[in-house]
This record gives sequence, structure tokens and C-alpha cells, in this order.
Amino acid sequence: MVNAISITDLKKKYGSFEALKGINLDIPEGSFFGLLGPNGAGKTTTIGILTGLVNITSGSARIMGYDVVKEYKKSRAIVGISPQELNFDPFFTLDDLLTLQGGYYGMKPKEARAKAMELLKQFGLESKSKVKMRQLSGGMKRRVQIAKAMVHDPPILILDEPTAGVDIELRHLMWEYLAKINKEGKTILLTTHYIEEAENLCDHVAIIDQGRIITEGTPKALIRDVGESMICIRVNDWPEKMELPQWQYTVVDNQLHIQTSDPDTDIGHILSILAKENVAVLEVKLKKSNLEEVFIKLTGKRIDES
Amino acid sequence: MITDHHVSKKIFMFNIGFLTLVKREIWRFMSLYKQTLLPSLISSGLYIMVFGQSLGSRIGTIKESSYIDYIIPGLAMMAVINHSFQNSSSSMMQSKFLRFIEDILVTPLSGLELSTGYIVGGLVRGVLNGILVLALGWLLTGFTISSWWLTLLYLIVVSWGFSAIGVIVGIFAESWDHIAVFTNFIFMPLIFLGGVFYSIDMLPPFWRGISQFNPLYWMINGMRYATLGIYDTSPLLSLLISVAIAVIFTITASFMFSKGYKIKT
Repeated sequence: MVNAISITDLKKKYGSFEALKGINLDIPEGSFFGLLGPNGAGKTTTIGILTGLVNITSGSARIMGYDVVKEYKKSRAIVGISPQELNFDPFFTLDDLLTLQGGYYGMKPKEARAKAMELLKQFGLESKSKVKMRQLSGGMKRRVQIAKAMVHDPPILILDEPTAGVDIELRHLMWEYLAKINKEGKTILLTTHYIEEAENLCDHVAIIDQGRIITEGTPKALIRDVGESMICIRVNDWPEKMELPQWQYTVVDNQLHIQTSDPDTDIGHILSILAKENVAVLEVKLKKSNLEEVFIKLTGKRIDES
Repeated sequence: MITDHHVSKKIFMFNIGFLTLVKREIWRFMSLYKQTLLPSLISSGLYIMVFGQSLGSRIGTIKESSYIDYIIPGLAMMAVINHSFQNSSSSMMQSKFLRFIEDILVTPLSGLELSTGYIVGGLVRGVLNGILVLALGWLLTGFTISSWWLTLLYLIVVSWGFSAIGVIVGIFAESWDHIAVFTNFIFMPLIFLGGVFYSIDMLPPFWRGISQFNPLYWMINGMRYATLGIYDTSPLLSLLISVAIAVIFTITASFMFSKGYKIKT
């Protein structure tokens, strides 16, 4: 099966600065893939190369098997991009703007206008169809940006920080919408600063830092393999000879701290062992690791640090 | 799922995508007609009244043509050059400045299609301005045209060339000042020294020689031949020079778009 996006040893240099140092990435068709990284990690450069905004120094990138340089007409026809930086054409109203965008991709005017109106309705912007972009709020502009990426109905969507500057309520609505269109079959490549966004939406994530992919996998697997979850149990009286050989743990003042990669599964086992040994449990706390911790552990910094 | 619908019909050159870009460029300047169409009428009307009506009677005729008729083709050329250049250079600059050029660069359009789309937009504005000036000349002076086809050909070719130059300058420009430098310090002197208001034969021999190196002199000469049937120098060479300028700068603009020079990183 051909991958929706396939990147091989991709390098990009700006003068002597190496923005991408040989990236390899395969994104299967139908997946919701998150590319996580701090500012300047190479996310936007990677996306720029996939969509034709950035020239390649070496290596290759393919979209549904089409080389983004040699077969750019085919590769670009099946991708929609919502860039991180908001841009707007000041001359046209939203319906005209989206109709033109569809036209650039070869849609007939009538077909493009119908799709434009459908998207404006879906994004709650129907009443603004005759308004120009500059008159919209930040959240509305962001929605138009995503609508522009979708007007030619591309099977692959690339969203660069799609919820940046969007309030929490709208962000959750957008997450719902993106999850829905992914379920309907669209492959989505998402870059985000919001780890929660990646955890909630993505079935696969890759962490990129200083032009290199550091790790990739499902969020669950990364948390399990890299993260450090903890089960904390306060007991009435910890028997001196009692041992839990399967886990690493410490006991201080009847407080048990157990390291685990899978707290949801392990908690049941541990509690049943304690019950067997007649150890009375007074309090149980789970400290679950998350992608943010994984990110910090692998990169040595928080995602919002540049 | 990827279907044939997504790729098959969208790979041909100069298809709906290209026409959409042309439409966008025409819509843009038509929505600004007070800046893009009317000024030519006002300035040319003033030139005809001041230079033609008041001074013209003292100058008499040039090559058996009344002075007022003599300057109208040059005024039309002036409008064509200014407006075709302004259209593509300012549209390029604006799309770079507000970053909406990215929306166009990510589409399947080739460098040739993109550059030609911008060029054709400027071409249409240039031709419309030229036609408006000629129509105004006809209204104010009864000016008539010797060859409609040749006149239209000149309007198109010159407009094409300067629109292509506008695209290139728009790509290079990092501020509006850079565009203004071209308009005020290069084109304006070349237009005035290119014989809009006088025949080259009226100049001293040294300046007559220098004028031969001014491409606008050849364009104005050709336009005067197409409209009035009179000329200072070879009309055929005038046409060839105008076509050569259009072709050279179109290829350059297309190359710059294809390579992403100054528009991609």
C-alpha cells in the first residue's frame, strides 16, 4: 500500500544553517498524524517542501507516490494546506475567495462556488459570505484558512498550527470537526504547539527537534515507552517482608511509589496482590505520564520553548 | 480515498486554474477602476488640452499630421506602459506582502502558468487603458486610426512586455519604494524621451543617436505608424523590438516563478 506521505532523507539548508538534517517519515493513508516540535524545529519547512513553498536541498518527498518536485502537478492536486501564518487577499469576499481557490485547482466556477458555500456553512460562516477577510475575528480567519485548504476536496490535509490563536470553545469544535473528517477518510498531517491537541486527535505522532525526527509512534506507545507514570498507594501498614518483584518501587512511611509504563492495567494487579496479603489500602493516586513529559524527556525542553 | 478525479483533469497546461488566476487579476483591477482605469482618461485629457489644443497650433504639423493627432498614439503608449507595469508589479508585491501568494503557489499551477496569469492581468489593464486614451482622442479631436489590427497588436505586445517587467520587478521588490523607483526614475524619463510629444527628427543629431537606444522610442514609433501611418524609423523593426522585449521578459518571469526566486525559500 502506498503511503499518503513519504519522506526520505530530506535535507534543507538555508545558507550554512541546516533546517532539516535528513528526515524520514511515512504517513499511512487515512491516518491523523501529528508533527510535534518547538519553534524552529523544522515542522513548517517540512510542510513547505510537501506543498511547494520551500525548495528541497536533497532527499525526496512523495504524496500518494507522486514526487513533490517532479510530479508536483499531481501531488499538489491532492493536498490542501492551511498555513500557520494567516494570510488574506484583501480584494475579495469570502465566497469569492473560496471560489477562486477552488478554481486554481481546476474546479469549474459553479462547482467551486457550491463547495465554497457548503464549507462556509460547515464552518459557521454562512452569514459572512459577503464579508472580506479583514473584517473577521482571528478565530473566523483561521476557519476560512482551513476552508480554503478544503475547497478542492483534497484527500490529504496539512494543517500547520490550525488552532493557534483560537479560543478554547472553538478549538474543541474544530477538534470534533477534524476527527470527523479523518474518520470519513481524510489523511491529516497536523503540526501543533498544543500537546493536548495531538494526544486527543492523532493516532500517530513524530517529535521533531533541530531538524531531526527524534521518535515516532502512537501517543500511547510513546507514553508507555518513554513516559514515567506512577501509582501512589497509601497503606495502613506495609509488611516488612512484602515485595512487588514486577515493579520498581519505593516505600516511605507506608507510602508506596510504583513506577509503571501502563498504570491502567497495573493498578488492578497491584491492588489484588495487596488484597491477597491483607494490606489495607487507604488511598490510591495515579500520576499518568503524557506526551508533554515524553517531549520534555526527549528534547530537554518544553514544546513552547524555542 | 484518492480517486482519478483528484489528479487526472488537473495536470494540463493553461486550464481552468490558469484562467482563474487571470480572472482574479482582472477582477482585482476592475474593482479598483478609479485607480486603474479613470486616471489615464484624466491625465491624457489634460495632455491633449494643454499640449495639443493650446501649444499645438503654434507647433503646426509634424509629418503632415496635426500636432494634437501626433501626440495621441504616444499618450496611449504612455498609459499602456504605466498601467500594465503597475498592475503586475503591485499585484505581485501585494500578494507577497500579505502572503496570499502562498495560496497560489501551493496549487498545481506551473511557473509558466503563474507568471503568465499575472502577465495577462496586466496586459488586459494596459490594453484597456490604451483603448480608453485612443477613444478619448477620437472624442476630443476626431482622431482616426489607420490600422485597427496593427494598433491592437501594438497595444497587446507592449502591454505584454511591460506587464512581464512588472512581474519581475514585483518579485524583486521588497517595498513599494522599489516599484516607485522604476516608475518615476526609469519609465517616466524613457517615455518622455521616447518621442511622445515630438518627432525624433526635431532633436540635435547627438540626442537623436541616443534615442535609438531607448526601447520606448521604438514602441511609440510603431504605435504612431499603426494609428497615423507615419513613422520616424522602421515600423517592422519597432514591432520586432517590442515582441523581443515581451518574449525575453516573459521567459525571465516564468523562470523566476519556476525556480521560486525570492518567492520560495
